[in-house]
Amino acid sequence: MPDIPSICCYCGCGCGLYLHVEHGRVTGVSPSRSHPVSRNNLCVKGWHVHEYIHHSDRLTRPLIRQHDRLRPASWDDALDLIAEKLTAVKEQYGSDRIGVLSSAKCSNEENYLLQKFTRISLGTNNIDHCARL
Amino acid sequence: MIETQTLHKDYLRPLLRKLGKQYRLVGPVRNRFGDTLYIEITDLDRVDIDLKHQPQNSLKSFFFPQTEPLASYIVDTEPLSPTQLYSFHPLLPENRPTLYFGVRSCDLFAVLYMDMIFLGGKHRDIYYEQRRRGAVFITLGCNEPFANCFCNATRNGPFLEFGFDLQLTDLGPARNSYFVEAGKANGVKIVRKWARFFTVSTKEDRRFQYQAALEARGLFKQLVHVDLACQELEKGCEPEDVLTDFSQRCQDCGGCAFICPTCTCFSITDQARDQGSGERIRSWDGCTFAGFTRMAGGHNPIDMRRHRIRKRFFHKLKHDVQKHGRPSCVGCGRCVDMCFGGVDIIRFINAITEAGDLGRGKKRGV
Amino acid sequence: MAGLATTFGSGAMTNTINELEEAQVILVSGSNTTVTHPQVARRIFDAVDRGAKLIVIDPRKTKIARHAHIHLQIRPGTDIPLLNAIMRCILDENLIDDLFIEMRTENYLAMCDLLLRVDLNQAAEITGVAADDIAQAARMYARAQRSTICYCLGVTQHTCGTANVKSYANLAMLTGHVEQEFTGVDPLRGQYNVQGACDMGALPGGFPGYQAVADPENRKKFEEAWGCTLPENPGLTVIEMTHGGPDEKRLQAMFIMGENPMLSDPVLDRVRTSLQGLDFLVVSDIFLTETAELADVVLPAACFAEKTGTVTNSERRVQLSHKAVDPPGEARADGWIIQEISTRMGYPMQYESPREIMEEICLLTPIYGGIYHDRLHASWGLQWPCLDRNHPGTPFLHKYNFTRGFGRFEPEQHVPPVEPADNEFPFVLITGRRYHQYHTGTMTRRSVTLTRERDTSLLDMHPEDAKELGLADGCRIRVRSRRGSVPFTLHLSTQMDRGELFSDFHFHESPTNILTLADSDPEAKCPEYKCCAVAVEVDHD
Repeated sequence: MPDIPSICCYCGCGCGLYLHVEHGRVTGVSPSRSHPVSRNNLCVKGWHVHEYIHHSDRLTRPLIRQHDRLRPASWDDALDLIAEKLTAVKEQYGSDRIGVLSSAKCSNEENYLLQKFTRISLGTNNIDHCARL
Repeated sequence: MIETQTLHKDYLRPLLRKLGKQYRLVGPVRNRFGDTLYIEITDLDRVDIDLKHQPQNSLKSFFFPQTEPLASYIVDTEPLSPTQLYSFHPLLPENRPTLYFGVRSCDLFAVLYMDMIFLGGKHRDIYYEQRRRGAVFITLGCNEPFANCFCNATRNGPFLEFGFDLQLTDLGPARNSYFVEAGKANGVKIVRKWARFFTVSTKEDRRFQYQAALEARGLFKQLVHVDLACQELEKGCEPEDVLTDFSQRCQDCGGCAFICPTCTCFSITDQARDQGSGERIRSWDGCTFAGFTRMAGGHNPIDMRRHRIRKRFFHKLKHDVQKHGRPSCVGCGRCVDMCFGGVDIIRFINAITEAGDLGRGKKRGV
Repeated sequence: MAGLATTFGSGAMTNTINELEEAQVILVSGSNTTVTHPQVARRIFDAVDRGAKLIVIDPRKTKIARHAHIHLQIRPGTDIPLLNAIMRCILDENLIDDLFIEMRTENYLAMCDLLLRVDLNQAAEITGVAADDIAQAARMYARAQRSTICYCLGVTQHTCGTANVKSYANLAMLTGHVEQEFTGVDPLRGQYNVQGACDMGALPGGFPGYQAVADPENRKKFEEAWGCTLPENPGLTVIEMTHGGPDEKRLQAMFIMGENPMLSDPVLDRVRTSLQGLDFLVVSDIFLTETAELADVVLPAACFAEKTGTVTNSERRVQLSHKAVDPPGEARADGWIIQEISTRMGYPMQYESPREIMEEICLLTPIYGGIYHDRLHASWGLQWPCLDRNHPGTPFLHKYNFTRGFGRFEPEQHVPPVEPADNEFPFVLITGRRYHQYHTGTMTRRSVTLTRERDTSLLDMHPEDAKELGLADGCRIRVRSRRGSVPFTLHLSTQMDRGELFSDFHFHESPTNILTLADSDPEAKCPEYKCCAVAVEVDHD
């Protein structure tokens, strides 16, 4: 039963916590006493951070809209379609007609990659996230 | 039984290595962030076993995890009867004989309390039993109680008289060894089987052990009148002011119940995997949550503004005394360290025994 | 953020959360701290337990306000007149820090000029706070050696949000309560990695580390590093994207990673129209959100426990979060998804690990210059600016001088709310979060315990108002604004003053943001979430 150090995924306090893993599932959390913010404490959301991870509503396959319904598809089909469509919009209407929303729920590395992708591959500065909301 | 022994500190790790072949090892380990936690030790050479600090978790989650699947179910397509629409298959955890070492008195005592709750009644809890069966405890008496400890007041520490397989007492730097008492058959077996690591204690050792136990009792930083509080509550004391003040301060995190080694409330939910199947999950719950007592129609018999934590403290200090003859607080002080609202059991006890530092009092640091 | 950036030169929390404990006076504004930032509230309670004084500025009697020594229960949207009045009192009683003003700031005369024209009685009238209370708060804040200000979205989510923030900065500079340990101006960030997303340049106007896109030097630097040419024209902000243009549509395609504008953005009808009007919409998320339902392609992403990466909290602390379990099914981390698409579009990205990406960030982002993964492995993070491998990180900002050189006073005047209450819409609606739920509820509503604790959208109303309208606690009601109507369950609460209402926005059954205003702050583009006019009626559906 290893304890994996992690950061609570909710508010901006950034509490340090340990995720308890058993048989490939997160079964619980405990706060870190040495963490400068949490100091052995979590709020109600932090104590239950593991509860949604294995929820049955989780998306497990890419979905592509066909005849107005989202249907399961392979990664290759989904990624190829995205690349093709975005390239088409870029060529037909110009880069500034594409918009990208990044996420405060993703890591720094992912945010960095997404803005890099937006500015280079899409060729636009239309990238923002929910800081204002 | 068996004569008391001493174990040279140098031999602790070799002994654990031998025992690790027979048992899964769980003990207090200081991790790279400086936190000490009881964890499962898979590689004895790569962990920093920490017998100096109080582990911040208790053993509770090893026997009673925060979430655990009890059964899987499928929706029967051809039900046997109109009332039986589901088939359940129990999901029992595996039984792994485990050696818990470096366990503090409060934490072992809390396991004994959980035994009473999960195994003591008419119905035995098979999930708990499965994890509990074959567990061996090597405890470590506390020569120096930690900042928020008061196990002397709850009468289950700093040294134990029963319940352990082996109890170690640090005899100090001069002697560099542990005094070893065997309390149960498994402890005797360990001492007999690995006799080469142990030495029969001398009179001098016993004198040192007694002195350590004596000194430890004088080193508690908290003066908490648990007995007096139990008596007051038994007499029918209803400390309205304290409870109202606490309810206003309580942040509703549930942390006190989760970190408490003897809080055993749980709730059971069925969580669908897909339309035809799912799992029945048991998870920790806390009586301080509004949803714990809220009824289907929305009515809540507990007035949350005034009595959010009444149930918790009364359960620990009144109802369990009536039922089991002693409070179920083991004085580990974890909830005192955790709660930032200052809604902790020491403050509660002080408030009803001496009307002490109620309200905006001083903060007890770690 | 824009407000602090103009006055101090950097738009982040000036101190660490822990420093709050040592403050003598804490001024909390527009933050329901116990609900939205429990750990900050913990520090405040600790400080108060030790004898610190607490001033709360909030239209609601929140839990933290109940513990305050002075609660200035202002009318929504009247921060600026209140602060100007506080500063006038400080000036009148000569509690200003002359030396600090002289050594570290500029534009003081303009500030003084404005303050000398402030009429205290008029301010009391506008804000609804007694002049005596204002004066008392002013003395309390100014006289202490170590006073600190915490504010949250109650300050920024107004059309005058930036001006509000500047006013708080003015107050701190006037009294010299900044640039030291235990004292400063701390905006509390509401989300997991919202600070990091800003730092990493997920902003229309900035490369990573707030290096302006408009500056040709910066563009040249990144063009050389990335081997490409970069666009010059400034990008669109969230609201500009999700609301479309005034008459024609602005965008043809969108890529949305882990956001749910279909619940979080104001005037949801407009969001829906513009998202549906797109030729192509890609959403990557962990659940099928309201936004994902409109997408042409939905990608299954990994959640925080299923990937390794760094996140930055409200106090600029960059921390490493480790992968604990595998993602379910075929779900993949967003980092992998972006690299695959970029490679397919002709710009190959092949990072072997987040560690490698971070090394590139260190190279190009001065404030993250020394934040390598290996340094974070055995610690709970480093606080930026951290310039190189040996730099210990920076717990509090603006030591010796402000990031921009001199702190600049920015005098501000009262801006009345865009949509005041009137006869047709007699109530003012404030929106915010509840304790047990988080943002659009995508995650928290799938947590059984949190959902059990709260699973309905409530509208808080003063009991006297409810009595007048003949409404009982728990009844179904409908709230109407000029933009639409939303059903709620009524909750009687004395937290609000009469004439004011509060609701959350976590629940898709009660999409509060149908009601809210599209008007946003001209600089920061924060929408006016905290103030719109509504009417309440019984729901007959």
